[in-house]
Amino acid sequence: MSETSAATETVGIAEGHHDEHHGSHEHSFWRTYIFSTDHKIIGMQYGFVGLAFLFFGFGLIAMMRWSMAYEGAPIPFVGPILESLLGSGVAPGGVMSAQLYNVFGAMHGTIMVFMGIVPAAFAAFGNYVVPLQIGAVDMAFPRVNMASFWSFFIGCVVMSVSFFIPGGAAQAGWTSYSPLATIIPTDGQTYWLIGMILLITSSLLGAVNFLVTIINLRAPGMTWLRMPFFVWAQFITAFLLLLAFPPLEAAGILQLMDRVLETSFFLPTGLVVNGADVDVSGGGSPLLWQHLFWFLAHPEVYVLVLPAMGIVAEVIANNTRKPIWGYKYLVGSVIVLGFLAFIVWAHHMYMTGMGTVISAFFQTTTLIISIPSVIILTCLFISLWGGSIRFNTPMLFALAFLPMFGIGGLTGLPLGFNFSDVALHDSYYVIAHFHYVVAPGTIFAIFAGVYYWYPKMTGRMMSEFWGRVHFWSSLIFMNLIFMPMFAQGMAGMSRRMSDGGATYSLSNPDNADAGGALSDTIMGLNVSISAAAWAMLLAQLPFIVNLFWSIKYGKKVESDNPWQATTLEWDTPTPPPHGNFIKEIKVYRDPYEYSVPGAKKDFSPQAQPSK
Amino acid sequence: MEIPYTVKSRPDTGLYNGKLGIWLFLASEVMLFGALFSSYVLLRVGAADGTWSMGLMDVVVGAGNTMVLIASSMFVVLAWAQLKQGNLSGRWGSLRSWGYIQWKWATVACAVLFLIVKWSYEWPSKFVHYDVWFKNPTVLHEKIEEGYGHDGELNKAELWSEEKSKKFSLARLYIEKEIYVERFFKTYSEEDGGSHKAFSKAWDNGSLALSGHINGYEEAQINVQVTGWKSGSGVSETSAEKLLVELGAGDIDAAKNLRSQGGSLLEKVGYDVAKRSEYKLAKAGFSVVLSVAGYQAVEAHPYFWRTPRINEDIGGQPRVKSIKFALDASHHEVDGETHHKEIVINTDDVKRLNSYEPKHSTFFGIYYTITGLHAAHVFGGIIVMLYNLLPIGLATWHRDREQFANRIETFGLFWHFVDLVWIFLFPILYIL
Repeated sequence: MSETSAATETVGIAEGHHDEHHGSHEHSFWRTYIFSTDHKIIGMQYGFVGLAFLFFGFGLIAMMRWSMAYEGAPIPFVGPILESLLGSGVAPGGVMSAQLYNVFGAMHGTIMVFMGIVPAAFAAFGNYVVPLQIGAVDMAFPRVNMASFWSFFIGCVVMSVSFFIPGGAAQAGWTSYSPLATIIPTDGQTYWLIGMILLITSSLLGAVNFLVTIINLRAPGMTWLRMPFFVWAQFITAFLLLLAFPPLEAAGILQLMDRVLETSFFLPTGLVVNGADVDVSGGGSPLLWQHLFWFLAHPEVYVLVLPAMGIVAEVIANNTRKPIWGYKYLVGSVIVLGFLAFIVWAHHMYMTGMGTVISAFFQTTTLIISIPSVIILTCLFISLWGGSIRFNTPMLFALAFLPMFGIGGLTGLPLGFNFSDVALHDSYYVIAHFHYVVAPGTIFAIFAGVYYWYPKMTGRMMSEFWGRVHFWSSLIFMNLIFMPMFAQGMAGMSRRMSDGGATYSLSNPDNADAGGALSDTIMGLNVSISAAAWAMLLAQLPFIVNLFWSIKYGKKVESDNPWQATTLEWDTPTPPPHGNFIKEIKVYRDPYEYSVPGAKKDFSPQAQPSK
Repeated sequence: MEIPYTVKSRPDTGLYNGKLGIWLFLASEVMLFGALFSSYVLLRVGAADGTWSMGLMDVVVGAGNTMVLIASSMFVVLAWAQLKQGNLSGRWGSLRSWGYIQWKWATVACAVLFLIVKWSYEWPSKFVHYDVWFKNPTVLHEKIEEGYGHDGELNKAELWSEEKSKKFSLARLYIEKEIYVERFFKTYSEEDGGSHKAFSKAWDNGSLALSGHINGYEEAQINVQVTGWKSGSGVSETSAEKLLVELGAGDIDAAKNLRSQGGSLLEKVGYDVAKRSEYKLAKAGFSVVLSVAGYQAVEAHPYFWRTPRINEDIGGQPRVKSIKFALDASHHEVDGETHHKEIVINTDDVKRLNSYEPKHSTFFGIYYTITGLHAAHVFGGIIVMLYNLLPIGLATWHRDREQFANRIETFGLFWHFVDLVWIFLFPILYIL
């Protein structure tokens, strides 16, 4: 470890930390900021890449929304750029072709989930905050940590490059269902699979590192039930990644075999494409892909949500100035949630005809899993009761998370029952449901985390005024985007249509006599949703400017603990040096000892001896 | 800055970081291979009768390799035990004095032997082994009659006893129609006298395959004819003529003639030459016609042939006209030696031809996938072992003996896991 020290080590290191290479801190810019093994640098690397991809993924959907609102019209501003970058085959005259729509749709999902939210919510905050919160000097395996980041980064490069190969990137949706994904004649899907295998490898390395760090590197006195809830959430998330990702890796290898060596793991006997028999042995099972995929992809939902819940719990405890209500219930619920997450996957597959018995089983487990989720949300709501709440930017985002996530969760119930799912499956209702969970849910929590921990990372505050502008505009536009989608979905509008459903609308003369065609009102919502999406894109500009501007010009923090928080990360210098703590850390208290009766201050840090 | 518990165990968990890490890593490996084993089960249960190509493995070789891996697992423990006793290196001559270095090299030797057997014998021997399916059941029946019916050196009773002695080879069926068929039928039972509905159906609709090696074939000799030249292709007349000379048109006058009037450029050349010329000529603005001039007999055992390789259309005729096919389970004597019986198969009759590569069937697909992934783990293990045998790895021993012993211990855990995966793989791929 010693050869990996960073320039920040000039801050004094307490006695007892004998360092063989003491004094050899002359590391180059590259070792300090690019190929760093310091968990904080790696956390910020993940954060920047993750946020950049979140923005990029959002840009993709913003272009797709144009195609849905004004099908066949050239996209303003970016249309010509698309045509010159990707060729007039896929973007003739700046118009988005259906093929390009499919490419962007598949990559929007992939990018947002695997290259945006997981790195930002799990890897970035996990890397930066977890070792600090448990009083560790670094992650358990710093070099593995660096390998994890670079594996992730190469995976991102492979995915990004695939946009520019002939035929474009993957087009079979982020779920990549076979046989479609296997028989698409471009190489995009192959790039996707190789990219995914790299991203999965990164997640596995990261998960092992997180788990060992949390289990073995907790500071003296940091017992399991003194860990901040954020650490618990990351702990369970790491288990989910560790155990749920390998089956997708297996599935990815099998699909790669199907594409490259022409096996037929996922191709059934007698498959005909474009009127011709496909030259494969057959005998494979399309359903097998779906099982392996959702065995990861359902726990993945919790990978996206648990770190968010952890961030929200930290911010709420800090800004209500009172302990989280029901900390032990939270911990118990998150453990149960982690376990149940493994046995609900097939509720994504009710429409495959896998049988009523299996559907009934997964319907039952799906409803059971809502119990711990509701407990967590309820505890966080009750925590607000009687608090003297500070409405700063991180708190606003955390507060908005609660009802937004609530809407996302409750609208999931009709999808969990297989009888109602039959009607809603693959409609805009589903899109609205899961976006409420991850967009105004998880992404708001990520914003809360950025605003909350920013002063620790940089020593400066982000602008409160622009933070509020960012918050209120995001909140309004989020709801204007996703709320109407429930109506569209219930009216029967299907997902993944580049014309926004026009084929099935009443205004299409072919449907004059058809019952259940989409009305003009429902179709008209496409335009307003798209407008809200573009406004949402603009609403992120204050955040982006704020993020970079404040590094140099933000208000300087006056202490190492500007939020007057109790957890250990605020017991470090600002920003924390390599090795994090300048004194021996010992933990004496529970994580959220705010407003302890009789205490001098309204917060008692975990490392403060109790007399 | 120093990370705690890199060497010593944390008292309340009883584990040092590396050991905890390797156990968690192995948990994820269990899920990885578990998913592949589950896929194996699901694909096998869902396979149609007669399509699961089981029982074609050499059980003796597989069992041998299993013993090699088990031995290596034992050696890796002995290496660690010697380290714990402080015995880094003993004398090669006396087994009793063997230390870490010796036992570790023994482990490496086992791992290398395992991979040599797999990669230079087991896999390649399958790549020259073929299955042929016919378009027409009548042709299948004729070929079976020709290949298995006449020599009669094996009678029914002998085949039965041979069948019973091969307990592991359920794939070999002897049916009343006096045919050996290299396929596994789920509903096979001895009470039925070996015949059963699924087989009869496959017989009737011709979905059975003949198995064997390709001993030779007739390959097309191709004439390349130039039929015209377009001037607007960006290639000048002289360079187009130069190309013709390069490709074998003779002198420049002949080339001029060819360019302006067309005619035969190459005669009776091989496929590669013809195709390469066609490509270059087309790029230079020529229109080209390939035609088959005749077929030449070739004695060879080709690897990896697939259906498109033999029936590729060249001017209306197939690239390969016929193959000499040595049947697996039909033997006859020539000059006192037993040979596989050869039959000639016209490629016109072939619906599908495939060597025992991943594309062949779902069974071979999963066989290569799992054993390949396992072999990759063995390979990775060898790299780690070599690192820990070279001075760069041994430096840790000289700095901190306990840390080095821990490193070998965690490697041992990984190695046992790799061994364990094989112990599951061997029965499901070779025996059951």
